[in-house]
Amino acid sequence: MIKKVLLFIAAVLCSVSLFAQESDFGGVKGTVVNRAGRAPIADAALTLSQNGKTVIDAVSDADGKFLIENLPNGIYDMTIKAPGFLDATVNVTVEGYVKDLIFVGMVIEQVVTEVDDSNFADFDMDDSGFEDSPSILFDSNDPFTNIASFGFSNIRFKNRGYTSESQDVYLSGIRMNDAITGYSPFSLWSGLNEAMRSKETTVGNEVSDYGYGGYNGVTNIHAMPSNVRTGWRFSALTNSALYRLRLMATYASGELDNGWSYAFNVSARLGGNDWVKGVYYRNFAYYAGVEKKFGDIHRIGLVTFAAPGQRGAQNASTQEVYNMMGDNMYNSNWGYQNGKVRNARVRKTFEPVTILKYTVTPSDNLEATAALLWRTGKNGYTAMDWYDAPDPRPDYYRNLPSYYWMDDPDYGRQNGEKAAWAQYAWEENIPEYAHLNWDRLYNVNWNSYDEVGMRRSKYVIEERRVDQNDIQFNTSIKYSAPRYFTFAGGMTFRWNRTEYYKKLDDLLGGDYYLNIDQFAERDFASSPGMVQNDLDYYLANGYAQVLRKGDKYGYDYYANVFDEKIWGSFAFDFGGFKANLALEGGYNQFWREGLVRKGLFPGLDDNGNEIVVGDKVLTTYDAKGDPITSKGNSEIPDFLTYSAKLGLQYHFNGGHRIYANGAYFNDAPTFSQSFISPRTRNTLVPNLETQKTMSADINYQFSNNGYNVRVTGFWTKIMDQTDMMSFYDDSQNSFTNFAMSGIDQRHMGIELGVQIPLPVQGLSLQGALSWGEYIYTSTPRMTQTVDNSAEVVHDNAQVPYWASHPVYKKYTDDFGAVVYETDADGNYIVEKNQKHYVPSTPQLAADLGLKYRTNSYWFFELHGQYFANSYLDMNPGYRTDLAVNGPDGVFTPVEVEYMAAQEKFDPVFLLNASIGKSWYIDRKYNFGFSMNIQNITNNKWVKTGGYEQTRLIDSESAERFYRFDSKYFYMQGLNYMLNLYFRF
Amino acid sequence: MKRIYTIILTAAVLFAGCEEFQPVFTGKYPAPQDQLIYTDADFGKFTPIADVKQMYKDNGNKPYDITKHCVIKGQIITSDQTGNIYKSFYIQDETGGIEIKIGKSGLYNDYKVGQWIYVDCTDLTVGSYEGMLQIGYKDETGEYETAYLEHSAIIDQHVFKGAMAADDELVKPVTIAGNQIYEEKYLGTLVTIEGCKYSNKIFLIGYIDPNIVKESDKKSNWNRFFLDDEDGHNWGITSWAMSESLFKQHVDNGDFDSAVMNDGVTIGERKHLIKPQPYTMNQFFEMPGLSGNRKYLQVRSSGYARWSDVNIPEPVLDGQETVTFTGVLTKFEADMQFTLIDLSGVKKADGTPWYNQ
Repeated sequence: MIKKVLLFIAAVLCSVSLFAQESDFGGVKGTVVNRAGRAPIADAALTLSQNGKTVIDAVSDADGKFLIENLPNGIYDMTIKAPGFLDATVNVTVEGYVKDLIFVGMVIEQVVTEVDDSNFADFDMDDSGFEDSPSILFDSNDPFTNIASFGFSNIRFKNRGYTSESQDVYLSGIRMNDAITGYSPFSLWSGLNEAMRSKETTVGNEVSDYGYGGYNGVTNIHAMPSNVRTGWRFSALTNSALYRLRLMATYASGELDNGWSYAFNVSARLGGNDWVKGVYYRNFAYYAGVEKKFGDIHRIGLVTFAAPGQRGAQNASTQEVYNMMGDNMYNSNWGYQNGKVRNARVRKTFEPVTILKYTVTPSDNLEATAALLWRTGKNGYTAMDWYDAPDPRPDYYRNLPSYYWMDDPDYGRQNGEKAAWAQYAWEENIPEYAHLNWDRLYNVNWNSYDEVGMRRSKYVIEERRVDQNDIQFNTSIKYSAPRYFTFAGGMTFRWNRTEYYKKLDDLLGGDYYLNIDQFAERDFASSPGMVQNDLDYYLANGYAQVLRKGDKYGYDYYANVFDEKIWGSFAFDFGGFKANLALEGGYNQFWREGLVRKGLFPGLDDNGNEIVVGDKVLTTYDAKGDPITSKGNSEIPDFLTYSAKLGLQYHFNGGHRIYANGAYFNDAPTFSQSFISPRTRNTLVPNLETQKTMSADINYQFSNNGYNVRVTGFWTKIMDQTDMMSFYDDSQNSFTNFAMSGIDQRHMGIELGVQIPLPVQGLSLQGALSWGEYIYTSTPRMTQTVDNSAEVVHDNAQVPYWASHPVYKKYTDDFGAVVYETDADGNYIVEKNQKHYVPSTPQLAADLGLKYRTNSYWFFELHGQYFANSYLDMNPGYRTDLAVNGPDGVFTPVEVEYMAAQEKFDPVFLLNASIGKSWYIDRKYNFGFSMNIQNITNNKWVKTGGYEQTRLIDSESAERFYRFDSKYFYMQGLNYMLNLYFRF
Repeated sequence: MKRIYTIILTAAVLFAGCEEFQPVFTGKYPAPQDQLIYTDADFGKFTPIADVKQMYKDNGNKPYDITKHCVIKGQIITSDQTGNIYKSFYIQDETGGIEIKIGKSGLYNDYKVGQWIYVDCTDLTVGSYEGMLQIGYKDETGEYETAYLEHSAIIDQHVFKGAMAADDELVKPVTIAGNQIYEEKYLGTLVTIEGCKYSNKIFLIGYIDPNIVKESDKKSNWNRFFLDDEDGHNWGITSWAMSESLFKQHVDNGDFDSAVMNDGVTIGERKHLIKPQPYTMNQFFEMPGLSGNRKYLQVRSSGYARWSDVNIPEPVLDGQETVTFTGVLTKFEADMQFTLIDLSGVKKADGTPWYNQ
């Protein structure tokens, strides 16, 4: 693989070139060293090439030294290869003299760092309204990212507190972030670590050559066969936290003499883990690519890959459940079916991606590309669905002791004996109660005979499908003027049509299921038209659609997105000074296209008439007087977007660099943020507007002599965000949706990464620190709806306690009661305003480690980590006046401090270690292992995320509400990963 | 190298033995287990339902906590499928019928009409709700005489499913008439009452939205209203009960405007405060052979029942035709009530159903 590194060399080159004298020939010399500890590397193979053609080969001597002379002036790529080290490429400009590169540092191959989305347990967030799309940092030569990429992944660290959507991920120069949600789609290629290993990354606001990027860095995965490391590689990996076994094979031809290169990568990830029952992997992955170079100018490549398979998901539960089970890893998604474990929530995916890419290099300083990408296939997620039958989930709140007993009598839960029974059922881990009871579900269906003797299933498995068709066409150009100037730019056209629907996956022993909305049926039993999920079918046939396995039901709609972008960046380079200016403009439009007419929201018929069933008019209207419609096209919001970035940097002699970036973004909201209830209707979120972001950072970097230090200060303000959260509400047996608008956030902090060689050869000290404050700064608005009712619960109402809540002055009196102080006018005295924080990431993350590598290819690492200031995701419903003031509408300090408060997680200290060794046989075969042990102190109390439930509990006094308990995800305790590999 | 392959292979074989690999290798699951069906032999001796009811009477008409071993065998006679009976079912043996307060919705999925059921009453309580005896859990809060069993662990400890009754064992409704309706032994059992005539009278208690009422006012009861005062006046309500939407429709139509609340204010003036919710509203019928207040049969029907908004058949409303009811005989305080299981229990005089289900 190729890894562009060695900023300090670039710095050296820059400074030296100022003093260059004119001649037609020159040369290059230096010493190849191990970057950690600067031990010389003998026998390293050096290749100088121009435009892909080898000009000369050389080998470093016993002291690592090399000298290449009599080179014509020009720009060369110098590739350095040595067993056990990552391949390195350095740009060398020969300018009439023998340039001394001093040290060419090489990085020992990182065998531990295997970061992709399979490092993350698939937490089941679908019914929670929250997202848990992991943001994944990739290992790079940046001293901070190098540690954070793998070291912070278990705690689900989000870089600078930003969401996954803000992280731009490119594949062969094409932006891959999901068109509908914006998420970075790592799952598309998980398990293809070898084929996708070659990548470039930028941090923060930096401009990259291959795309404009956002404020959270850009990762470009090369993905072309010529970028895959030449040769065979086999590996077997076992780990105790995710899946039992991963087998992988890779081959890449490298560039052959005839200009062809090809590569493939296949893998399988199989089995469960030691920590979470019910979670399993049955995932496969393939990658195949072929590339041909025609002469020096043209290159065309075709790549296709996919990661088909299934994986069982893990669910969050309340602390009460975890405590009773004595296990914070308890997973409510599975149960026994005739004694065997079965998981109800399984992600099933097969989404092949194909890329055709053409590159033309007409001259040394001009390169242009055109690429076409097609993503298609299916993405399904199974879940329980049931009709007019008890909730089958084991941790349904009525199955818990807290439903029967709360100490505070105001809850009206004073049944101690029942609570004891419930507790007994859980603590004894009786399978029928503590887990899904599949046998019962089947028996219910087997005995559910209708009038004609058919069995109507009461419990089924549905598969929620999100099937994408994504086509992107992308062109880019890069031109480097002989001196001073570089220009890069490009254009992208994207068309996406994603179909969202439910499919009947398993009738669980019954014969059929009906396509009706059961909650609507409860409320509108006398109006059969209103309960139909497919009203047109009902009107045509006179009865609800009878569903068999594989049928679509529930909802069915297309999300359509058109996106066009054009960008350009201009760099000016003079001496140690470099300036960058980049601009991007875009046009974005999207709409919903309903494929079925739902009885509750039928809209108008094809002739513009109201829809009447029996004597009941089903058509309903929104506040503006427009019919609420489920079928056909929605309005088409469109957005002109633009953004600008400016970067300045200065290299000082000796490897010092100071740089600063500033950026302004004006981004369109995504489809997934823009509809109040996309499953059921075409209604858009009110106040839909672009999201504005201002971001700036200032950085200092020092890299020399094995030292690598970066310090960054960053500040980002995000304004006018919209968000759509959809919770499963078991009281309604339906989804309730919170469409929020006007959310502002401010992220600021510092980032520090250090790598310091210690006096002992091969030993270095590493450290990373990310310390920030990521807060909400506005009072957003919210519209709350329920999927199976036209009623608008909150209509564009303020969420006054979203960004903060007041904390009042109080004291404890002699009897132990809390008394709130008031001023002369009888008003409560506000002591401070408690800020609310951007959740689900530690806002303070620190790592300090020792790394020791021997020249016989052993390595040892030990890291201590500290994470703090992590917060729970907030439910906007709990931050409204309605929830805070209670049913009596009377505001009290106790209610504010109870209802609006945000939970802060406990800080945590973790210890991780790794060890590895490589053996070389005849300098041709390479065999090795690496072992990584995480959470050595076996800390099982580390919350990594979770969410607040949406429901309120009425009080006996009718003066206030209580919350439902929050649900949490925890990090696994002590776990290991062992990787064996063989390469030739 | 060979050793490595051996290790990997051995590991793979070992993993294959693990439970977690079931879906990984086969993608399939074993056939589910059949539910356990209990028989008489599992229990031995049974206590007649009448004896359990007697325990309550012997206890001075106070809730009785059954401490000694006591198992009832009965047949389920009701279903909660249409929602008029909710969270419980009635069982009946030769000596009578009684309600078992299970406390879950959708019970008909697990407990079928015509299924034998064994109720181990040990540690359960027999109590009364306004005169109707029930078997349930002890109510620690003291609010009611019995509570729902509610949690599956409690239910499974006390309620055991038997086989479906053979056709000749099925409980058949007993036709009762005249003063028989006031005989205790029929309470909680399946009965048929013939020749019932619509009496154009209803009973409903409605409420102001409780979220609007001040706590201090809640006790004063001004927030309630009754629609029951006039004989021969059904307030325009012709349905068996009222769902939330039908209730709202009546209020919006002004049907209840002239009703007076406890504090003397009319509904017409307080319309905006009325909370629409599914109301339990009872229609009254007159039974043949009885007179005075004793002639009224109050038909209990819930606003949550699926058929709540279904209208009483036109000829019945007109008084031209009568209804033969089949359902469970119940009572509320001194008044006899009649609980419909579903509309198949509403038949014409000739025994044909009024409603096609």
